[in-house]
Amino acid sequence: MSVLRLRLEPRDGEAFRREVRAGSAILGRSSKADIVLADRFLSRQHARVFLSDGIWLLEDLGSRNTTFLNDRPLAEPTPLRPGDVIRLAESRVVVEGPGEPVAGAGDGLVGDDDERLPGSTILRPAAQLLSEARATAAPGESGLFAGRLRVLNEVHRALAAPITLEGLVNLVLDRAFAHLHPEEGAIFLRGEDGALHRAGVRQAPSVKGEPLFSRRLVEEVVEKGVAALVTDASLDERFAAAESIVVSGVRSLVAAPLLDSEGCLGMIVLSARRRAHPFVEGDMELLAALASAAALRIRNLALTEETARRRLLDKELDLAADIQTAMLPRTFPTRAEIDVAAALRPARTVGGDLYDVVLEGDRLWMLVGDVSGKGVGAALLMAVTKTLFRAIAPGSASVASAMGRVNDELARDNERAMFVTVFAARLDLATGELRYVNGGHNPTYRLEADGPLTPLGGPVDPALGAVEGHEYRESTLALRPGDTLVLYTDGVVEARAADGEEFHALRFESYLGGCRGAKAEDVVQGLLSRLEEFAGDAPPYDDVTVLVLRWLGSGLES
Amino acid sequence: MQIGEDKVGEALVIAPAGRVDSVSSAELERVVVARLDGGERRLVLDLSGVEYISSAGLRVLLMAAKRLKAPPAALVLCGLGPSVRTVLELAGFLPLFTVEAGREQALARVGGPAA
Repeated sequence: MSVLRLRLEPRDGEAFRREVRAGSAILGRSSKADIVLADRFLSRQHARVFLSDGIWLLEDLGSRNTTFLNDRPLAEPTPLRPGDVIRLAESRVVVEGPGEPVAGAGDGLVGDDDERLPGSTILRPAAQLLSEARATAAPGESGLFAGRLRVLNEVHRALAAPITLEGLVNLVLDRAFAHLHPEEGAIFLRGEDGALHRAGVRQAPSVKGEPLFSRRLVEEVVEKGVAALVTDASLDERFAAAESIVVSGVRSLVAAPLLDSEGCLGMIVLSARRRAHPFVEGDMELLAALASAAALRIRNLALTEETARRRLLDKELDLAADIQTAMLPRTFPTRAEIDVAAALRPARTVGGDLYDVVLEGDRLWMLVGDVSGKGVGAALLMAVTKTLFRAIAPGSASVASAMGRVNDELARDNERAMFVTVFAARLDLATGELRYVNGGHNPTYRLEADGPLTPLGGPVDPALGAVEGHEYRESTLALRPGDTLVLYTDGVVEARAADGEEFHALRFESYLGGCRGAKAEDVVQGLLSRLEEFAGDAPPYDDVTVLVLRWLGSGLES
Repeated sequence: MQIGEDKVGEALVIAPAGRVDSVSSAELERVVVARLDGGERRLVLDLSGVEYISSAGLRVLLMAAKRLKAPPAALVLCGLGPSVRTVLELAGFLPLFTVEAGREQALARVGGPAA
């Protein structure tokens, strides 16, 4: 006997497929119709398909809105051909073709008054199912129970090996097909957006057509964490009323949530159409156990992926830190008149502090700066500032004009108002004349060879990047041979001990006061070890930068 | 850090309280940006409750000043405690802002009817 395959697209419901096997089926809005279509404009019994002399015909049943075949109103019973489009009110039905029923097929689902299994659905909390599963090993069932244990053991072993998410989905479907013999199966996983996506689907070779699973079933299983057993899906109102479960002929269905202690990750569903025996409760128990094992592994996979991502990011940051460190000079001009050393200790991987030392003929340019904020954004502005200083400072007529130009570059289109405080100076190596600009930065200390320790005075202008067009002001100081300059960032004075106490300017000044005559490198290293000792186990609070310059004199000064 | 807001005539007073550091300044920035995007043009930042402000916090003040540069928009700071004033001074920013002692003077200065 020929079957008629239809794809139905009701106005108010999801599309589904049906095979009409009984020789006749009524389509309509009424629950008494053989194929119920959710469309409120439909008549209760709208149209009929029936088999006559081996040919499938379509007939209008005096419906209010008539029936259209390929957009023409139907006047009399008309033969159907594959590809025909039937329109009933605002619903569409596509004729996918007549075909031969598969051998061993059960009764027709549509228009079939024959005896069939009573529709029933069992929903059971998966957790309960798992905890009670052992108790089901009644003496008579021990063989079956042992078989299930073997399956589970097999799955656990397979899942212990390294596996991808795709591999895992395939493996679970493999095992489910091997032991539960469904015709269709699918695994749905919850995506990052919270929605369920089909992660894998499988069909027995004998099955054709795209498997469709009821959204309502999937939601019920996932939301409530229940395992479901539907012995006759076509009769179960919960799933059959508004949305199709699968293509026609579904007789049995079993589903289980992918549940772990932190929640539901998705679900696995198996269905069988022409199955001699529907799924039984034992199948549901086995599937629930299988799903639980899979859920654990899926959670682990997600964590592993997260770790890998973080590791990659850390690697990128380490690379950025390397690049940033490489931008800072580690060797300094060697001239008889000077002794220079500097160090920068970022609080995080990358930092916002910077320093630079550039020799231009007999003049030495120096810069120490601190970018507002922390992290990658600060590090980028640090790199830009350093580059601009290198490009602009040497050759500039004055420190003030150099800073004015760097400032204008930084301030232009600076909507986020990022800024960098700087202390910039130029030393004439022959005369000891120091010219400097303070752009919102901690004042540099001068440690006189045989005199006091004093912060350099003079006007404080805005940090670079704050105001475009600002005219920076320059101060002048005559160094004497043996004088030491100490440029630094606030990370030095604001360094914190474990109890929250600040290193403070007082400790800094007291340390520097004992550094007369010391080599620049020793002053720098001595400070770093003091800070380390002071901070103890406390995490670094801010980048620490210090640049020390001793002017030894040129022998020409008066 | 907590943020108080008060609409007075055409002016909006935003009053952060506590520590405005590199973490909490992001929240202050979010509020200020949202209000400016919402069309506020006369802003008073009452800093009387601020115990400490970092360079990241200064950046937020500076950003607000940049966005309210052209009249009739205006930004006025008030209630600067000694530590906040010092930080603004050290960064060379004090001359960039209109500063008043208290909220009343700030509202009078920021302009707009009924302020």
